[in-house]
Amino acid sequence: MLNDKAASAARANSRFGWLRAYAADVPLLAWLLGVLVAVLLEQAMGEVLTDLVGLPKIPVLFGCMIMLKEPTLIPSALVYVAMIYGVPIILLGKLLARPANWIAARMITWPIVIPVIVHLVLLYGIMHIWSDLSLYRMLTLRLTLIAIMLTLSLNLINGYMGEFSCSHPGFMALGAYTASAVMVLFFVNDRLFGEALLPEMLGPFMFPLALVLGGIVAALGALLIAIPSFKTRGDYLAIISLAFLFIVKSLFENLQFLGGARGIKGQPDYADLPTVFCWTVLCVWIINNFVRSTLGKALNAVRDDEMAAEAMTVNTRFTKMVAFLFAAFWAGIAGGLFAHTVRFINPGTFDLKRLAELLAMVYFGGLNSVYGSIVGAVSINMLGEMLRPLALYKWIVIPLLLILVMIYRPTGLVAFKEFDVRKLMQPKRKPKNEV
Amino acid sequence: MRKGLLFVIAILVLGLALSPCVWAKSKTIKVGINAPITGDIPKVGEGSKYAAEMWLEDIQAAGGLDVGGVKYMVDVVVEDNESKPESAAKAATKLITEDEVLAIVGPQASSQAIPAGEMANNYGTPMISPWSTNPDTTKDRPFVFRGCFLDPFQGPVVANFIKDEFGFKKAAVLYDIASDYPKGLAEVFKEAWEKLNGPGSVVAFESFTTKDADFSSQLTNIINSGAEVLFTPQYYNEVALIVQQAHELGFKAPIVGSDSWGSAETVKLCGEDCYGLFFSTHYAAAGATGATKEFITRYEKKYGYTPDDVGALTWDALRIVQTAIENTGKLTGNLEKDRMAVKDALAKIKEFDGITGKMTFTPDGDPIKCAVIVRISEKGEFEFYKSACP
Repeated sequence: MLNDKAASAARANSRFGWLRAYAADVPLLAWLLGVLVAVLLEQAMGEVLTDLVGLPKIPVLFGCMIMLKEPTLIPSALVYVAMIYGVPIILLGKLLARPANWIAARMITWPIVIPVIVHLVLLYGIMHIWSDLSLYRMLTLRLTLIAIMLTLSLNLINGYMGEFSCSHPGFMALGAYTASAVMVLFFVNDRLFGEALLPEMLGPFMFPLALVLGGIVAALGALLIAIPSFKTRGDYLAIISLAFLFIVKSLFENLQFLGGARGIKGQPDYADLPTVFCWTVLCVWIINNFVRSTLGKALNAVRDDEMAAEAMTVNTRFTKMVAFLFAAFWAGIAGGLFAHTVRFINPGTFDLKRLAELLAMVYFGGLNSVYGSIVGAVSINMLGEMLRPLALYKWIVIPLLLILVMIYRPTGLVAFKEFDVRKLMQPKRKPKNEV
Repeated sequence: MRKGLLFVIAILVLGLALSPCVWAKSKTIKVGINAPITGDIPKVGEGSKYAAEMWLEDIQAAGGLDVGGVKYMVDVVVEDNESKPESAAKAATKLITEDEVLAIVGPQASSQAIPAGEMANNYGTPMISPWSTNPDTTKDRPFVFRGCFLDPFQGPVVANFIKDEFGFKKAAVLYDIASDYPKGLAEVFKEAWEKLNGPGSVVAFESFTTKDADFSSQLTNIINSGAEVLFTPQYYNEVALIVQQAHELGFKAPIVGSDSWGSAETVKLCGEDCYGLFFSTHYAAAGATGATKEFITRYEKKYGYTPDDVGALTWDALRIVQTAIENTGKLTGNLEKDRMAVKDALAKIKEFDGITGKMTFTPDGDPIKCAVIVRISEKGEFEFYKSACP
C-alpha cells in the first residue's frame, strides 16, 4: 500500500502528473461524452472555425497533415485542434465526471450487457459523426478497424501462443478470395463469373455468411499448415508458415477462374462503417473472452513452458491447434472485409510487405494484450496517414519509432495487460476515497 | 508551468495574426498525381513526378492556365500510393475530398489504378491512368481514362511485325505467370500468332514466377522446340537475364519484347546482348522529332537521364487534362460541376497530338493510338524502326 502511494506521488510529480491527477476521477463514460460533444462541435462549427483561424479546410486528421505541409499554418491548426478537441474534451470530461460516475455506478450493477451497449453506441456515434465530414476519414477509419482485427488475431499466435507465425497474410488472402468469389459470383455481373445468380436484394444478408465462409476456409488452410508444423517450434514454425504464405500467393496467381494475377474487382460495397464496426467489436469481444478463458490461460502456459504445461495436464497440441485455427478464422474475416472495402484484390496484395506491416502493428502495440493490438493497429495506421506529407521520410520516421519502442519497451507499448471490460467501465472515485 | 502556457498562447496569437498573409483564397486549379513514390517501382513514381514538375513549370511560365479568358493558377499535388492497392484508394480519396483536385493523373500500375479508379468514379472525379493496361481500369467507369494502348492491340502488332519482318512460322513465348501484365500480353500474342500461322505455331509457351533468376530449363525447352523467334513481354531486370542466358545456351534467333522493355535500365543491365533486338512501345527516344524531341532534351537536361515511357505518357496525360480543362470554356467554381465538365471534355477529345502519338478516346475511355517498333541500336539507344497503327 505504501509503495502504491509513493508511486502515485512520484507519478503526480512527474511531467504529466497533473494530467494524470486531473483525469483520475473521470470515468470512461465521461470521456466518451466529451469526445461526442467535440465531434458534434466540429460538425456544427468546424467550417466557421477554419475560416476564422485561416485554415483552407477542416483539418482531416487532427491537423497533422496540414502542419507538416505548411509550417506557417501550425498555430492555426493547433488552435483549431485545441478548440475543437482539446478544450471540450478536457473540460467536459471533468464537468461530466460526477454525473457520469453516478450513472456508471448505477449501470455497473445491472447486467453487463446494458452498460456495454451504452458505451458502444456512444463509441459508434463518435466514429460516425467524425467520419461523416470526409470520405477520406471514413476510408481510413474502416481500414484501421480492419487492421485492429488483423493485429489482434495475429497477436493470438505471436503474443499469447508465443510462436512466430508468418502466414497471416495467407489466411487473409484465403478469406478475402472466398468472400469476394461468393459475393461477386452471386451478386455482380462481371467478366470473371458472368451474370449475377441472385437478386441484389439478398446481398446484405449473404454478406455475413460469405465472410464467415471466408473465415472457415482460412481456418481450414490453417489446419493444413498446423498438422505438419506443430511438430516443430520457434524458427522452424516461422519458416514453414512463411512457406505457406508463398504457397497461398502462388495458388491464387495460378487459379485462372479467380482472376489469376489480375485479381478480382467490383466487390459490392457492403463493408460500410457500421458493418466493419460490428465485426470489429465482435472480434475483440470473442478473442478477449477466448484469451481470458481456461483455454487462453493454457495457451499462456504452453508459451512459457510447454513441458511444464503438459505435465500440468494441459493438452498442448489441442490448445495450440485451437488458437491457431481461431486466429486464422478472424484473419479470414478481416480479409473479407478488407476486400470489400478496397473493392479490389490481387495476389500481390497479400505478400511479404503486408506481413511486415502486420508484424509491425503487433510488436509496436504490445504482445499478449488486446489493448496493445488496438494501440498498435491504430497508431501505425494513423501515423502512416498523418505523415503523408513527409513522403519518403515517412519511411524513416515510422521505422525509427519502431526501433525506439523496441529499445525502451521490448515487448511493445502496452504489453501483457488484461482487457477487463467491467473494470474499464466502472466509476472512478477520487484517490482519497479509496483506502 | 504557467509561464510555459503563456508563452505558447503568445506564439499562437502571433501565428494567427500572421496567417491571413500567407493564406488567401485565390483562383487555383489543383491537379492530383497519384504515383508510387515508394514501394516496388519507385523509378516509375519518380518519372511521373518529374513529368508533372516540368508541366507545372510550363504552366507557370505561361502565367497560369487560361480557361475562357480567365487565368487560373495551377497547383500539382503529388500523393504517394506506396504501390499498394489500399494505399492507392486512400491517396485517391484524399486527393478528391481533402485536396479538392479537379482531375487526377495516375496511378500507373493496374493493381493500383483499379481501386483508385473505383474511388474516382464513385466520387465523380476525372482520372487518367497513363500506364495501366488492365481493361478493368476503365471498364464501365465514365470518369476513368487511360493514356496508353491496350494489350489486345499490342499483341497483334508484335505478331504482325514478326511475320512481315522475318516471315517466321514458329514462335516461342516466355513470360511471368504471376504478374498481371506479362501474362495478359503473352496470351494475346499467342492468340494473334496462331491466327496468322495456324494452330500449334506457338511451339513453346513457357512461364516462370516473379523474382526467378534462372531460366535455363525454360530456355532449353524453347531451343529444343525449334522456335524461330522468342517473344518475352517482361520488365527490364528479367529481360537482361533472359537474353543473356538465352545467348549463353546458344539461342541465335531474334528475341522480341513489348513496351515493358522501354526503360533506360534495360540496356544498362543487358549490355551488348540486347543490341539489335526489337520491341513494341509507346515512343522512341532516339531519333525523335518535334515536340517529342523537345520534351526529351528538356528532361535529360533537368534530371540527367532519358525519360522512359512512363514519363512521356504522364506528360501526355497531363497535357490531355490541360486541354480538357481549357476546352470546358468556363469554370464555375463549383467543384462537382467543373469535374463533370472536365470529364465530358475529356471524352470529346479527338486526335490529341501527344508526344507518344495521336489519340482519340473510345467510349470506354481507352485511347486509339499507334504503337512504335523500336530497335536497340549498336550504341544501345532506342531507335525508331517502324510505326504500327490500328
